[in-house]
Amino acid sequence: MAQHSSKGARFQAVTANRLSDGEVVYLSPDNQWAETFAAADIADGPEAGDALMARALPADFELHVLEPYLFEVLQDGTQYKPASVREIIRAAGPTVRLDLGKQADAKRES
Amino acid sequence: MPNEYQLMKDGALCQDEWIYADEEVGLSDAPSIISLSRLKAEADVLRARNAKLGVQLLADGNGKTKLGEDVQELEPYLDMLSLVSIAFPTYRNGRGFSAARVLREQFNFDGELRASGEVLHDQWAMMRRCGITAFELAPSVSLETFSDAMGELTDAYQPAADDQRGALWQRHK
Amino acid sequence: MYRYDEFDHQLVGERVKQFRGQVERRVSGELTEDAFKPLRLMNGVYLQLHAYMLRVAIPYGTLSSKQMRMQAHIARKYDRGYGHFTTRQNIQFNWPALDKIPDLLEELATVEMHAIQTSGNCIRNVTSDQYAAAIDGEIEDPRIISEIIRQWSTFHPEFTYLPRKFKIAVTGHDNDRAAIKLHDIGIVIKQNELGDVGYEIHVGGGQGRTPFIAKKMADFVPKAQLLAYLEAVMRVYNMLGRRDNSYKARIKIMVHETGEVEMRRLIEAEFAKIDASQMLAVPQAEIDRISAYFASPEFENLPATSATLDAAQAQDADFARWVRANVVAHKQHGYGIVNISLKPIGGVPGDATDVQMEAVADLAERYSFDEIRVTHEQNLVLPHIRLDVLKTVYDALNAHELATANLGLISDTIACPGLDYCNLANARSIPLAQEISERFADLDQQYDIGELKIKISGCINACGHHHVGHIGILGVDKKGTEFYQISLGGSADENASIGTITGRAFTEETIVDAIETVVTTYTDMRQTDERFIDTYRRVGLDPFKERLYAE
Repeated sequence: MAQHSSKGARFQAVTANRLSDGEVVYLSPDNQWAETFAAADIADGPEAGDALMARALPADFELHVLEPYLFEVLQDGTQYKPASVREIIRAAGPTVRLDLGKQADAKRES
Repeated sequence: MPNEYQLMKDGALCQDEWIYADEEVGLSDAPSIISLSRLKAEADVLRARNAKLGVQLLADGNGKTKLGEDVQELEPYLDMLSLVSIAFPTYRNGRGFSAARVLREQFNFDGELRASGEVLHDQWAMMRRCGITAFELAPSVSLETFSDAMGELTDAYQPAADDQRGALWQRHK
Repeated sequence: MYRYDEFDHQLVGERVKQFRGQVERRVSGELTEDAFKPLRLMNGVYLQLHAYMLRVAIPYGTLSSKQMRMQAHIARKYDRGYGHFTTRQNIQFNWPALDKIPDLLEELATVEMHAIQTSGNCIRNVTSDQYAAAIDGEIEDPRIISEIIRQWSTFHPEFTYLPRKFKIAVTGHDNDRAAIKLHDIGIVIKQNELGDVGYEIHVGGGQGRTPFIAKKMADFVPKAQLLAYLEAVMRVYNMLGRRDNSYKARIKIMVHETGEVEMRRLIEAEFAKIDASQMLAVPQAEIDRISAYFASPEFENLPATSATLDAAQAQDADFARWVRANVVAHKQHGYGIVNISLKPIGGVPGDATDVQMEAVADLAERYSFDEIRVTHEQNLVLPHIRLDVLKTVYDALNAHELATANLGLISDTIACPGLDYCNLANARSIPLAQEISERFADLDQQYDIGELKIKISGCINACGHHHVGHIGILGVDKKGTEFYQISLGGSADENASIGTITGRAFTEETIVDAIETVVTTYTDMRQTDERFIDTYRRVGLDPFKERLYAE
């Protein structure tokens, strides 16, 4: 897995892939694995980040998701967005197929 | 010393008559498994011992490549050995499969050949094809699970240390 | 082409059942991900950026219309309506659900296909020459021993937990289209003075982080001893290959660190022991049985030229352009080898929709003795097309955007999936391929530039084969921004060479201009009949460096 260090990051979120279908998911404030970045719980500061990560790893986490990890998030006014190109792409879908992935789901729903 | 295990030998769960001997302590008459370095150091004395002797090939080695002990080093001592235990350090490390075949097919070793260490369900059948006849399994494994796993792939394309000739040959028997 | 017998069917069927059980045990929690991962990899299931990815094996790049139609069906039923043809002649699907993959594999098995050993630290798909049985000058159809090697290496109990993945390629022709020198084992079919066929064996080629050209380990292994020799190489590697560092675990590192002479000695010593048992000498009856599947199709007796073709070319300039670029001379009079470009201008290299796959399947069935080939440059081939029907085939391809006349030209780029799809990537590669393609969209200009193989990788793992591109491009990540490093002078054929990096990397904004600078430097300096690679070999890196970094 390409390294996506969030060392020194202030804001972080947790992401993983769903076991059943590989869908990219984000840990939400109510400990669900949500399908959109917008629903992700954002941790402010390293301690909150550790606490968030701990919530992603209950004893049976492997029944639901693969390889959860923390990634850096940037504040953009009142919203948040992923800091790295990799996570931006993961949140949206392939940049060369705008008709596929979460970006397409969002369009369909709007 | 290996972790707690149950012994699966020749398709059946059984009591292990062998012990892994403490390196520092003199050997009893019980069938004893020792390290290769001890075997080399005490070979002359051990030849005189009138009891069954086994060796464990260690997987963790020194040096950059950490390859562990080489099966070739056993050759001078095979006449003394009734058992070889091949240690698999992690299931990813497949050197032991080659070691098993070399022992069976090139050294004609016909004593007990067992797999110890990290040995996964999905490797048992392949290990048996390489000549391994005994398995140190986690205590939770049932005979049924083991038998099922052994039966998952019935034929083979290629020969190995077992009696399967392989499809490329068997088609023209 | 090869047809499964009851052995093959049974083994594939049992494997599907075994994998279904493994998936169930994973889903129920009985298997941890750590224990499940090598099992799913051995069944070709990766976890990528957006989803799982399934890699289906296409042995030596050959498939029938029925098999291609099944890929279209899989794309529709289990994926998002398309597949990607890879640099190892396989096909990849980017969106399958894990819990549906056992069903998918069961369907695949009905057309004699599988995803076995397309990933993991085991012996992978054996790749070969896409023009096998169609090109003149072939010593022997390389797919015969490719099939024998495929069977010998499938579920091989000794070599399933190797230090790293292992890739084998075979060529039967002096012009190496299989890149054998860039493989862990590369095999060249040879004929000695007595007319016997045997095998020249090269070991230790590969790209990735540390590219190496393979070293010749044996000049002539007789037919009957081939598998014994291969088993010797594999055993030496399995026993002595590094396992301490996965970046140093390929056999190319072992050859490099051990040295050619000592490596040869180790292999010969093991080969002598294995060969002595004669256990791996394949019976002639079995070789004959397999060879029969690769017998020449029943070609018609045709004249060398086709008036129909000539007339059609005179009437349609686009068609003539396509014939000139994409149709290669066939060994049989009156036939041609048709190359189907999966690199439409501005398109995603190597991708095909289900509709396109169906179109190709139909054409293969009607016109190409039901055979299709996949090339390691992410294109397709219809190997045996009568010249008389070239226009008909072209029209059908054209209707499906499959008739871009750019084979081997600058817009026939190889690009790995890159950061748009891949978990390992540092940069995107597909958009760059698209931009280059659009910058050089004019096909006449492309033809004038001539053969120019650009290969793009999105990370150092080099799945885009950038080390052996005439122009290679490596995407790198510098502090979160994508940069592109250029190398020149690589080549994957019988004159294999690793490209040389030009210098500083370029930004997303400047890389396409830089490529154009390289091309212009070439066209300014070239002599008559010199391709890019020829000019580069004559003038060296400096003239290109000067122009690229001139301020």
